[in-house]
Amino acid sequence: MSPVTATALWVLPLLIAWFWRPRQAASPSAWILLIAFGALGAWALWFGLYAHAGEPAGFAFWKPTVLYWTVAAILIVAPLLGWGYPAKIILGTYFALSNREWRWINRGFATVYTILGGANLLVASEASNGDWVGFKYSCMMNLLIMVLFRLNFVWLPILADVSIHLYRRATAACRYLSTLF
Amino acid sequence: MPAVERKPENIVELIWPGHRSEQVTLETTGKSGGAGEIFAIDSKPGFVAKIYHATTSQAHLTEYRRKIQWMVDNKPALPQVPAEYQDIVQLAWPEALILRQSCFVGFAMQKIAFDRTLELDYLLNRRQAAQEGFAADYGKLVTASFNLASLISCLHDKRIAIVDLKPMNVKVYKAELYVSILDCDGFHIATDEFRSDAPQVTPEYLAPEFQDKAVAHPEAQDRFALATIIFRLLNYGIHPFTGVAADHHNHPPELAGRIKQGLYPYGKVAHKSVRKVPASVHEAFPDRLRELFDRAFASSGYSRPSAHEWVGVLGVYASKHCGQMSPCSKGHLRFSGRPCPTCMRDELIRGAEVRRRSFLARAQTAPARTLQYLKKTLRQTHSSPFQAALAQAQFTLVQLAPPAPISTRNAIALEILWISGLLITYWWTR
Repeated sequence: MSPVTATALWVLPLLIAWFWRPRQAASPSAWILLIAFGALGAWALWFGLYAHAGEPAGFAFWKPTVLYWTVAAILIVAPLLGWGYPAKIILGTYFALSNREWRWINRGFATVYTILGGANLLVASEASNGDWVGFKYSCMMNLLIMVLFRLNFVWLPILADVSIHLYRRATAACRYLSTLF
Repeated sequence: MPAVERKPENIVELIWPGHRSEQVTLETTGKSGGAGEIFAIDSKPGFVAKIYHATTSQAHLTEYRRKIQWMVDNKPALPQVPAEYQDIVQLAWPEALILRQSCFVGFAMQKIAFDRTLELDYLLNRRQAAQEGFAADYGKLVTASFNLASLISCLHDKRIAIVDLKPMNVKVYKAELYVSILDCDGFHIATDEFRSDAPQVTPEYLAPEFQDKAVAHPEAQDRFALATIIFRLLNYGIHPFTGVAADHHNHPPELAGRIKQGLYPYGKVAHKSVRKVPASVHEAFPDRLRELFDRAFASSGYSRPSAHEWVGVLGVYASKHCGQMSPCSKGHLRFSGRPCPTCMRDELIRGAEVRRRSFLARAQTAPARTLQYLKKTLRQTHSSPFQAALAQAQFTLVQLAPPAPISTRNAIALEILWISGLLITYWWTR
């Protein structure tokens, strides 16, 4: 893949996101997550696509921990500063839960990520490389769960909306074309 | 009687106590066991012969001869029976050696009238017992248990142990309720002048301390087996170590493993990890019996109740004069002052039968009821508010928020960011 194609692949979706962004104000917890993921994404893009020398040696073992503890720090700090509950942004706002319930979900997420970050370092230092790789991939199960959650409650309704919209457009186009011939 | 074919190998010599000898002819009966075959003796209708299989080694035959010779000379004194029952054989004890061409081949013993007896095994199942012409009730079962304990007590007094004591080796006289023990040549003998081991065991009746080991204390083994047989006789054949797991541990499926782990659920204090089977009636037993069972199954070795103790306790219930057994309102014999075990069992069986019939009826009407339910759901004519609510699915545990007040484009923009976050997470974790 050429550098131009690779750049287009991440720039285009971001441009679409920018142009179609909601115009109402986002909560501070959304912003802090966006900034953190922007920084992590920039790092990943830079070393993944452009810096051919690669990342610093030995950093690979730290990478999952950096991610987990960054997210955990945001989850812990944001409510303390009155910025809302980042878990609400991660999980989606499609559940009508009380603040108390969101608070506990947020704490649960923070605990899980803190433990995962520590466990990664422990496994990396104590277990064999093969075992560490296995552990790392098994941790991705939480990503899969989130994707399934999101797919069911968010992406399918959006897909339905888009399908209905396209169907209406297509029938309108058919009607217009039939008037021409 | 058909004419006996006098083959040379069927002509043998009986050596009675006091070395009196007698020539007899054997007749095939077709009955055979693990060690030998049973023959009738033409001139001795009250006796049968057990001839060891031809494959038995000379060393074993020599050992058998020593043992049988001692047994012939030392018949133990047995419990007294009334004069009218003198023909009852309580032990298939060797009475004479059998020699063929001066070589030891087996022994003669008193014949047990099979038409008057039935295997104790049959008493564990009331229906089987009834088919054999024995209407079991608690009076008869207690008496048979008492007679068995008495017989074993006599043997133990002579330092003789059965070791492989199990219902299949015991016969019960249907009318007189006396018992006979078979396979006496397999007994363990440990007198001052003679000793002979008994290697044969049955795991379901083997005490926990001897599972996977040699039986070091034969009398302790007999005490365990005797208690197990009495428990099964009084509890409709339920083995004292049959139970239902009460925790998440995997208990051994076979009885031997459960005995080894001491999984006895019928004690006065309930076992933590195993529950009684629902059909058990042990709660109808008097406390004295239950204490003996608890000692037999929850302790080990010689702290188990001896046959003599069983005789003492069961004798009270077996004797009509003591009045310790009385009829219930339905006429069944029961232990006085205790619930009737027969009624209890009938109730349990009837309850299970009612539940079974109810289940079958519900299973048979399930398709029609399902169709009816669907019709009512479609027509919204459920009469029960609960069913109506269920049909309308008003029981969502997590309430979904109303659709977000954002356009599809805004939602797509947010999801692009969300997927970007997911990709970044993946990138960092991989």
